Amino acid sequence: MFNDFRNLSRRRFLSGLAFTSGAVATGVGSWVVRPDWANAAEGPIKVGIATDLTGPIAYAGNADANVAKMVIKQINDGGGLLGRPLELFIEDTASNESVAVGNVRKLIQRDKVDMVLGGITSSMRNAIKDPIVARGKTLYIYPQLYEGKECTPYLFCTGPTPAQQCDDFIPWLIKNGGKKFALPSANYVWPHTLNVYARKVIEANGGEVVFEEYYPLDQVDFSATVNRIISNKVDVVFNTVIPPGVGPFFKQLYEAGFLKNGGRLACVYYDENTLNINQANEIEGLASCLDYFKTLTKDDPVSAKIQAAYDKDYPGNFLFAAGSAATGTYRGLKLWEAAVKEAGKLDRDAVAAALDHAKIAEGPGGPAEMVPGKRHCKMKMYTAVAKGGNYEIVGRSDGLVDPKEC
Amino acid sequence: MAESGLAGILPAGQATARRKVLPIVEILSLIVAVVLPFVLQDYLTVFATRVVILALFALSFDLVWGYAGIMSFGQALFFGSAGYGVALLARDLNITSILVVLPAGMLIGLTFALLLGGFLLLGRHPSTVIFVALGTLTGSYAADRLARGWYYLGGQNGIPSIPSMTLGSYEITEGPAYYYLALGILFVVYLLCRFLVRSQFGLALAGLRENEQRIAFFGYRSQHLKAIVFAVGGMVAGLAGGLYAFHEGFVWPNMLGVVFSTQVVLYVLFGGSGTLIGAVVGAVIIEGVSFWLSDNYRDIWPILLGVLLLLVILFRPLGLISFVLGERERVGSFGGPPKGSRDAAP
Amino acid sequence: MGNAFVAGFEILSFGAIIVLIVLGLGIIASMMGIFNFAQGEFVLLGAYITYLAHSGGLPVWVGMAAAPFLVGALGFVLEALIIRRFYAAPIVAMLGTYALGLIIRESVRGLIGGLYLSVPEPVGGSIDIGGLHISAWRFVIIVITLLVMIGCYLLLSRTNFGLRIRATLENPALARASGISTASMYGTTFAFGAALAGLAGALLVPVFSLFADLGIRFLIQGFVAVMVGGVGSFMGPVAGAAVIGTLSAALPWVMAPVVADILVFVLAIVFIKFRPQGLLSGKGV
Repeated sequence: MFNDFRNLSRRRFLSGLAFTSGAVATGVGSWVVRPDWANAAEGPIKVGIATDLTGPIAYAGNADANVAKMVIKQINDGGGLLGRPLELFIEDTASNESVAVGNVRKLIQRDKVDMVLGGITSSMRNAIKDPIVARGKTLYIYPQLYEGKECTPYLFCTGPTPAQQCDDFIPWLIKNGGKKFALPSANYVWPHTLNVYARKVIEANGGEVVFEEYYPLDQVDFSATVNRIISNKVDVVFNTVIPPGVGPFFKQLYEAGFLKNGGRLACVYYDENTLNINQANEIEGLASCLDYFKTLTKDDPVSAKIQAAYDKDYPGNFLFAAGSAATGTYRGLKLWEAAVKEAGKLDRDAVAAALDHAKIAEGPGGPAEMVPGKRHCKMKMYTAVAKGGNYEIVGRSDGLVDPKEC
Repeated sequence: MAESGLAGILPAGQATARRKVLPIVEILSLIVAVVLPFVLQDYLTVFATRVVILALFALSFDLVWGYAGIMSFGQALFFGSAGYGVALLARDLNITSILVVLPAGMLIGLTFALLLGGFLLLGRHPSTVIFVALGTLTGSYAADRLARGWYYLGGQNGIPSIPSMTLGSYEITEGPAYYYLALGILFVVYLLCRFLVRSQFGLALAGLRENEQRIAFFGYRSQHLKAIVFAVGGMVAGLAGGLYAFHEGFVWPNMLGVVFSTQVVLYVLFGGSGTLIGAVVGAVIIEGVSFWLSDNYRDIWPILLGVLLLLVILFRPLGLISFVLGERERVGSFGGPPKGSRDAAP
Repeated sequence: MGNAFVAGFEILSFGAIIVLIVLGLGIIASMMGIFNFAQGEFVLLGAYITYLAHSGGLPVWVGMAAAPFLVGALGFVLEALIIRRFYAAPIVAMLGTYALGLIIRESVRGLIGGLYLSVPEPVGGSIDIGGLHISAWRFVIIVITLLVMIGCYLLLSRTNFGLRIRATLENPALARASGISTASMYGTTFAFGAALAGLAGALLVPVFSLFADLGIRFLIQGFVAVMVGGVGSFMGPVAGAAVIGTLSAALPWVMAPVVADILVFVLAIVFIKFRPQGLLSGKGV
């Protein structure tokens, strides 16, 4: 109860002061435990969310927190899980690993949650997985697209992996962009590992990597890089620079005439949220490959329903988008719900065993299945291109794509 | 912890009637610290351990600033390097024994402090305070950027998942065990520092603070004195860094950087420099207040903290400990009151 | 050839940005001996005001024009209330201004919700020279910086007001004896330094986007630039800023960005060690 109240006042404060926030705090009754419940004597099931509510990735973290609130509310309205209500604890990881570890400890040691879902960047995941899984002996679900190779027991990944994002995407890029690739990257684990995989696929399809470079995360001046791209006549910029650098980078690239000369931008985490970082003309033609795009709501009724529910409860600037881990959060929570129902109890080993082969028939972008023994998730993938500030789907996978991990 | 030596130096008839507050403060703090884990839940004991380690870190800064007048804005360089060093030992060589990693941390801190201190402090002309301050600040910043860019050190990620420190086959995990370990180390280091600043060496340091030129005329090599204190400070910071790395379970570039460096300066200034206990008090209060504020005023707590710091700096530049301790009792004052001009600059 | 031109332009534009930021820092340091740790946050405020104007529906350049005045006014008030007390102890001043900076930074962070916000530039697009494209806005920044520098120089060397400032810089006791109110000089100087930072922030925000840690980014570079250039004069910090800015922008063209980053600082510290008075020693302009 206390935690809900605290989180509530933060929302009210932010919405009061932040000029751009159009969201009004959700009503008091939305995710507070209802005392007059069957099985209320056993107490609520506690779900912990640890995500970036502030910092450069806050546009994603807030979306994830909203999704969590939405899903928990849906489950509670439907009678809860195992007859018990769900109680949500949200902590800010603030894009700051030290703060994150401290706050995650609160979830584990003080709030004693039954499961933690969260972390967006890989560095965040690496920092908090130890307090959660090893020292905290709690289940951890990681919802974001990442570089793969995370095979820690009790850590389940529900976001796309390099195999899902590159195997079909890169051949499309070569066909619709060109053979010469540049890999400008942020200097941390995700770009390093992803680039190794991407390079393999690029070269296997007849492409060429002209250069691969790593920049500090807070670098905002990319003139040297842009110059290298133009002078080497690069066709496709396979970008893994993340905010805050990505906005200035794309802007500088545009100003140097990259798009005018027929270049193609590619960025596998780019979704509806990041579209707002640059002006539309600066990212015209940018290609991305994700498990969901909002434009899918036109032909997929399940996606439309989920998107509509989110937009109704959370209108404003934090959009339900796949590059922001929002779809992974939805998927992760629903898969966990299914696993808990199958296991019949909250004990970590039982839930983990059930989660290992959990499936959901209805998810954003399509159904999803965990691959038994691998702790990664099969899902449908879509390739889309940014046109005039919106996405257009240009490619769909045939069915569910295997993550090929562990 | 008896007050040794002070009675002989004080002019007769003065101050003997005044109660000596410092030992009382120290003993009280010790009692509270020892009893704490029995009163707090496990989660708060873990937090308290972290505070104890940071207090040790603050002590290192008080040594160099409060006793040798070196404004080191880069203590985190030694703290963080030791942290990274022991993390690498644990990751690459699987060494987690406390008997190896803590001395290693101290050695790393000592080495870097000798190198940086040697460069900044020694030389033909004595370095200005501002130069040393900026030089150490830059050192800390450069180390942060280096760690951020070097993939072997984990880059932006740092080095996560450091295993627990071991003593033989026993794993020292977070909680009361680690708390008492950290407290014990803090206690020992505190005593050693107290002994150091009350010794002949400390007397020379006191002379250095009062008038550097005069001390030089007496034949003391003031620059060497400073370098030694700086090295010792670096060693203590390194020890704290090793403890911190194993307690938190991960190291990352910010541990080397400007924020941590400035934080420790604030701890000491807040508590009161030149008193040793002031450093501990400052660390405890700032961390405790931050913790409490962040829980209760989630959105504006950093602002409140900043306001609090500003108020203390403005109105109580000698630190909070000056509410309790008189100027005379600053350990190492060796009796006579300091020059009036020093009151403005703690 | 074209390459060198583009490289030169980019280096120049980044150098100009650093000069703008350091100008204010240097003036305050030279005049009052205080290293203002809150200078970065004045830059942040300039950026924030510009953003507010933009999100309030006003044209961006209105915000940019207003920012220096508003931040300067705030600087004046802060000097009178707080900074004044630190003149006797420069070290305490550094920490006091750090606390001040913390307050400002966290307030802005709370107000923008911890997000990264973008502001469009008033003069967008690129200028085509031959086959080369250079950013129009960055060109404008260079021009404005030059104008500001020339303006400051003229103000200091040709006007009565400038004369009084220089007098206070060179010999405060004598200036006071001559009837110049050093207190109001200090207040004006601090306000001026703050205003310059505000202008820098306003001009920068389309390039770097608005986020709460914008100020800290430039702070260390700023301090190092002031030390390298030499404290005590007007041109000293400018020279230092030009050197540091140019090095920071130029080195990544020839080596890995990470190495370049660190090398600039190492070189600067070594330089100061062996030439403590900086590039241009001496007081006055």
